Amino acid sequence: MNKDMKILVVDDFSTMRRIIKNLLRDLGMTNVQEADDGQTALPILKQGGIDFLVTDWNMPGMTGIDLLKEVRSDPQLASMPVLMVTAEAKKEQIIAAAQAGVNGYVVKPFTAAVLKEKIDKIFERLG
Amino acid sequence: MISGTGKGMGHFEMELQLKAQELVSVLNEGKLSDAMEIIQELHEFRHQTFFSEVGHLTRGLHEAIKSFSSELGSSLQVDDDSSDDTDAADRLNYVIEMTEKNAHDTMDRVDKALSLVDKLDSQSERFKDLLLLVGQLEKEHDSLSGVYDRTCAVKEESEQTIGTLRAELTDIVVSQSYQDITGQLIRRVINLVTNVETHLVGLMEMASQVEKLSGIEVSVASEDDKQTNKKNPIQAEGPQVNKESADVVSNQDEVDDLLSSLGF
Repeated sequence: MNKDMKILVVDDFSTMRRIIKNLLRDLGMTNVQEADDGQTALPILKQGGIDFLVTDWNMPGMTGIDLLKEVRSDPQLASMPVLMVTAEAKKEQIIAAAQAGVNGYVVKPFTAAVLKEKIDKIFERLG
Repeated sequence: MISGTGKGMGHFEMELQLKAQELVSVLNEGKLSDAMEIIQELHEFRHQTFFSEVGHLTRGLHEAIKSFSSELGSSLQVDDDSSDDTDAADRLNYVIEMTEKNAHDTMDRVDKALSLVDKLDSQSERFKDLLLLVGQLEKEHDSLSGVYDRTCAVKEESEQTIGTLRAELTDIVVSQSYQDITGQLIRRVINLVTNVETHLVGLMEMASQVEKLSGIEVSVASEDDKQTNKKNPIQAEGPQVNKESADVVSNQDEVDDLLSSLGF
C-alpha cells in the first residue's frame, strides 16, 4: 500500500471526517482531502489525483451510493477503490453498495481496528 | 380530549325510537302525509346530529393539535406558511451543533495528548543511547552489575505503556462517532416533526372549515386560559438556542456584568 496516495474522505459530519483522517494518519497516510457530500466530492474526483475514496452514504445533496455509481460510470475514475463508512446497516443497502461496486463497507460506529483491517484488505486485493 | 357532544348519539337513538313509534302509529291510522312529515323530520335530525358530531370531533382535534403545538414550542397558524423550521427543530439542530463542537474539543485535546505521547517516544530513543553507555560502564564497575538489564526492563515496560496509551487515545477519537450517529437520528426526528406540523396545519384548515359549516362556536379563551397561556417569564427553558436575542446573555462575562450592575 502506497502511503503517499491521495485520499478523499466524504462525510457531512465534520466529526466523522476528522475521526477517519486521524485513523488514516495512524496508518501513515497523511495526504487526505475532505468533502461534505457527493456533490462537492465529484468535482474533486474528476479533477484527478485522488487514489482512494472513503465515503459516507447518508448525505444531503448527493448520497454516497450515488457518488459511488458516478465514480463507477466515469471511465477515468471507474477503477478507483471505494470504501463506504456509514450508519446504513440494512442488508439491502449493503447488497446495493456491493452491486454498485464498493470495495469495502464499514458500519458506524466502528473501531480503529475494523477500519484499518478493511483498508488493508482493499489494498491487499488490489495487490 | 375529544369529549362527547352536548346531546350525543345516545340522544339521537332515543329520539329515533320515539319518532319510529310515532311513524308506526300514524301509518296505522292511515295518515300518510303525517308519516311523510315524520320521515322528513327524521332525515333532517339525522343530518344535524351527524354534522354536530363531526363538528365536535373536529373541535377536539383542533384542541389536541393546539396543545401539541404548544408542547413543541411552536405556534401552528393556518395562515403562517413562512417558516419551515419550528422551535422544536431549532432546538434539535442546536443539539447537533453542541455535540459537534464538543466532539471537536475532545479531539483537540486528544491530539495534544498524542503529541505528548510522541514526545515520550522520542525521549525513549534518547534513553536508549544513555542505556548503551550504562552497558559499557557496567563492564568496568562491578557495583553496576545488573543495572543495565534492570533499566532495560523498565524501558520496555514504559514503551508498552506508551503503546497502550496511544491506543486508548485513538479509541477516544473513534468514540466521538456518537456525534455522527446521534446527529443522523436527530435529523430524522427534525424531518418527522416538520412533516407532522405541515400535516397538522392542513388538518387545522379542514377543522376550521368544518367548524364554520357545523356552526360550532370557537369558544373565546377564558381569562383563566389566557393566564396559563401567558408564559411565566422565569420558567425553565433549558439551554438558549438563540443567543442573539436581546433578553439572553451569551457568556459568563455578561452574567457577571448583569449581576454587578445589580450590586452583587
